Amino acid sequence: MTVKWIGKRMMLGALVLFIVSFLSFFIMHASPGSSATAYYGGNAQTLTTAEKERISEAFALDRPLIVQYGAWLKQTVQGNLGVSAKEGRPVASILGERLPNTLLLFGVSMFFIIIGSIWLGMTAGMRPGSLLDRGLSAFSIASSSIPAFWLGILFIYLFAVTLGVLPSSGTGSLGGDGGFVDKIKHLIMPASVVVLTHVGLYARFLQESVKAEIGSYYVMAARANGVEEREIRRGVLRNAFIPYLNYLGVTIPSFFGGSVIVEALFAWSGLGQLLVKSVMVKDYPLLMGGIMLTGLIVVVSLFAIDVLMYTLDPKLRKGELGG
Amino acid sequence: MLEAKGLSVKINGIPVVTNSSFFIPEGKITAMIGESGSGKSMTVAALLRMLPAGALASGEIRFMGTDLLKATNEEMAVLRKKEFFTIFQDALNSFNPSVKMDRQLYAFSAGRVGDDQESFRKKMKAILGKLSLSAEILNQYPFELSGGMLQRCMIACALYVKRALLIADEPTSALDKVVQKEFLKWLRLLNESGTTVLIITHDLDVVADVADEMIVMRKGEIVETGAVADVLARPTHEYTKRLLDSRF
Repeated sequence: MTVKWIGKRMMLGALVLFIVSFLSFFIMHASPGSSATAYYGGNAQTLTTAEKERISEAFALDRPLIVQYGAWLKQTVQGNLGVSAKEGRPVASILGERLPNTLLLFGVSMFFIIIGSIWLGMTAGMRPGSLLDRGLSAFSIASSSIPAFWLGILFIYLFAVTLGVLPSSGTGSLGGDGGFVDKIKHLIMPASVVVLTHVGLYARFLQESVKAEIGSYYVMAARANGVEEREIRRGVLRNAFIPYLNYLGVTIPSFFGGSVIVEALFAWSGLGQLLVKSVMVKDYPLLMGGIMLTGLIVVVSLFAIDVLMYTLDPKLRKGELGG
Repeated sequence: MLEAKGLSVKINGIPVVTNSSFFIPEGKITAMIGESGSGKSMTVAALLRMLPAGALASGEIRFMGTDLLKATNEEMAVLRKKEFFTIFQDALNSFNPSVKMDRQLYAFSAGRVGDDQESFRKKMKAILGKLSLSAEILNQYPFELSGGMLQRCMIACALYVKRALLIADEPTSALDKVVQKEFLKWLRLLNESGTTVLIITHDLDVVADVADEMIVMRKGEIVETGAVADVLARPTHEYTKRLLDSRF
């Protein structure tokens, strides 16, 4: 892996974050209502026009948008995400409180999605026409068609209300010790919903990719020459894994966005839930900070996938694909 | 060496090879010639027992006493590994694009005879040198080599394992004339070292250049067989005559 390649990817990641910040900033300010609303707190109805103007002036909200964006960008680059308009606390510390929960839900879900889809996709793809092959196709359709909120409600009704074996919401029990077991109990349902609504699609993609490789010319040539089946499979899986990784990379942003619904449904105190609340109260500094942090997680995930692809695909390493 | 009797192949009920009987004599180069769609490649697929989905073969193909059409999958796997060597038309796609050549050449050659890495490298480097290929290619990927070089790599593996029967399905059609000539020279070299060769082609020049015996196929049927010199001098079937006329 070359320093040039890593540098190129990092520049690309920075460019993506810049575009995301630019678009987010201007789109959120284009929504109806004043961006100063969050600063009024519960006094919006009683404040005079002069007082409102003073607030706008104090927080530089009366300046042109591009100037406001420039000021935000400058302080963000210096590592300062500003202060929450609603809570009056530094955005970084609010995000820091929520980040571990989001990373836990995202990390655990992604881990099981990857492990599950690789096992299912490869096993089924290696046996074209088998019961597992056909069964996975059906499971994939079901998995990707079931809405997360519906499955979540079903789980809550089944495991929390009826059986009473799992907590229905939150990230820890009230009055609990906040320990590992308690956290895991709260994580099981939201993570299961995320995994079950995604694993089928990823498995199906890999399954088709493996099937396409199994039908390749080089597999025919190897089999005709009695090359060990184990050796053939190793090559097939390696090749099938490259488009799978690509697909994973392309879908990670939407996967991350989708987990917002699950966080809201299970009152999982993560970034997604925080962002939704920030939109509601027009807490733009917090919203921008949350968007940038989410964007950073996606960019880092994509970088990790790029590194894996670089390792697996010699054409990429040799620069044939413009890497 | 290999004899087919009443071989027929149907794909989803449609006949592509009909009641074909032929003989591949040991130690000779036999060419199977015919236009596209004449059933040559399907005949090869039948004898390798690698027919596409929906295809069904009937009749008999005897190789060293074994009826290939009745052999178990395990028996066929052993035959393909220990008795045959097969070269296909598209050399570039005959290798896995993501795996280095040393690993693939090992699997195609030393892995089939049980040699370790050290003796593989030693022997393979010597063979590659004979075929005017640098040992450097062992550290390269297939997409870094030309079609001609890759076809030579296949020949190198065939020279390494020296199997009883080499089956070459249109091996020269993707090569330019100069590389084609060289390829045929190495094919002859392989034959001289004791390997029986079955070459599938639609090119009469290839047949005239390298083969001892020829089988002419048309629309799934064998229309003429015999020594190349005899068939070329005195063709008996109308199709063979037309084929010869079109050569000049």
